[in-house]
Amino acid sequence: MKRVVSVSLGTSRRDHKVIVELLGEQFEISRIGMDGDFDRALAKLRELDGQVDAIGLGGIDVYVYAGNKRYAFDDGLKMMEAVKTTPVVDGSGLKNTLERETVKYLLKETDLIKKGTRVLMVSAVDRFGMAEAFVEAECDITFGDLIFAAGIPYPIKTLEELEEIAQKILPEMTKLPFHMLYPTGKKQEARDDEKTKKFAKYYQEAEIIAGDFHFIKRYLPDELDGQIIITNTTTADDIEYLKGKGISKIVTTTPVFEGRSFGTNVIEGVLVALLGKRWEDISTEEYLDLLGKLQFKPRIIELMS
Amino acid sequence: MATHHEITESLKAFQEGYNNNKKLKIMNRDWNRIILIEATDVDSKHTIILQDGEISITEGISKTPNLVVTSDSETLADLFYGDITPTEPYMNGTLVLKGSEDDIVRLDFISLMIWGE
Repeated sequence: MKRVVSVSLGTSRRDHKVIVELLGEQFEISRIGMDGDFDRALAKLRELDGQVDAIGLGGIDVYVYAGNKRYAFDDGLKMMEAVKTTPVVDGSGLKNTLERETVKYLLKETDLIKKGTRVLMVSAVDRFGMAEAFVEAECDITFGDLIFAAGIPYPIKTLEELEEIAQKILPEMTKLPFHMLYPTGKKQEARDDEKTKKFAKYYQEAEIIAGDFHFIKRYLPDELDGQIIITNTTTADDIEYLKGKGISKIVTTTPVFEGRSFGTNVIEGVLVALLGKRWEDISTEEYLDLLGKLQFKPRIIELMS
Repeated sequence: MATHHEITESLKAFQEGYNNNKKLKIMNRDWNRIILIEATDVDSKHTIILQDGEISITEGISKTPNLVVTSDSETLADLFYGDITPTEPYMNGTLVLKGSEDDIVRLDFISLMIWGE
């Protein structure tokens, strides 16, 4: 049996373990939350190194993208460099393939996305593939990177502006402790009421809200009006929480195992274990080919009958 | 070591950079803050006031600050002239920012929007 473990800076309340069979191979997939404790995460990574088939880094991005530029978070690199033997991934490779394909699938196979659909991406630099796919679909898109990561009520409307701002700020901002820019640990369990109120209009004006689930949840207003959420890393409890918020559907980009859609880092870990190669040596085409064989499709969950 | 006058001049350069960036004024319309800039090695205090997206700078302490920026005079002058970014001195403890984490990120952001590549 292959073992894939996700070490997450997020809360341990979301820990989970499943056994699944993929392409004839048994997998034990688990997620271990470190409650925002960076040093404990490093220790756990060192402990797992060489003991499992792949490691995913959760609750943190190592790499984010804007245009053809890649930026690396210092904290993410520290976590990645703690692992010397086992392949280690942060999910960014899968975000660039699977999540891009998710938008294409929804465009082709459903009526959920159309030209002009108003989309709020709570953060785009961590899901640049999805952002590009929405732009290609000619959606009316708002990138909320400044709003939700930096608290600046400035909606970015084009990829060009996103790239321009990213180029100015990300080379330095990525040196800050990750928790200053993203909810980790207990912050994942609590809503930021002040910012939720302040930024509710961006959710309410959108037809689709897409991106990182912890960002989406942290600023989710009490009442929406039939919006669709496209995300992953949702548990059965999350789905229950979202019912009654006025959300019509949730689309999860990663496959659901035992009621839970794991993070992209976990699924990318599975792909790396299946391919038996180092992450750096895997091409986009290999990921796409494998995703085709696995027949992963977005899951659409109806929340309003 | 930089003088009080040099810090004043660096803050004027910062103010000019801010005023030349129309986008930055729009981005900060909601961020009304009093920021005290204090040197540790020379007698130098300045107050940055951000109100409705506009920036003004005065010498000394004029109001109770929301955010206090403390460092040696050289670092402060370098920082506000854009010769260095705030991230590294902040991370190594040379630059001390007292305030909410959100405000620290915001000030870092403003500085990078003015002086970033």
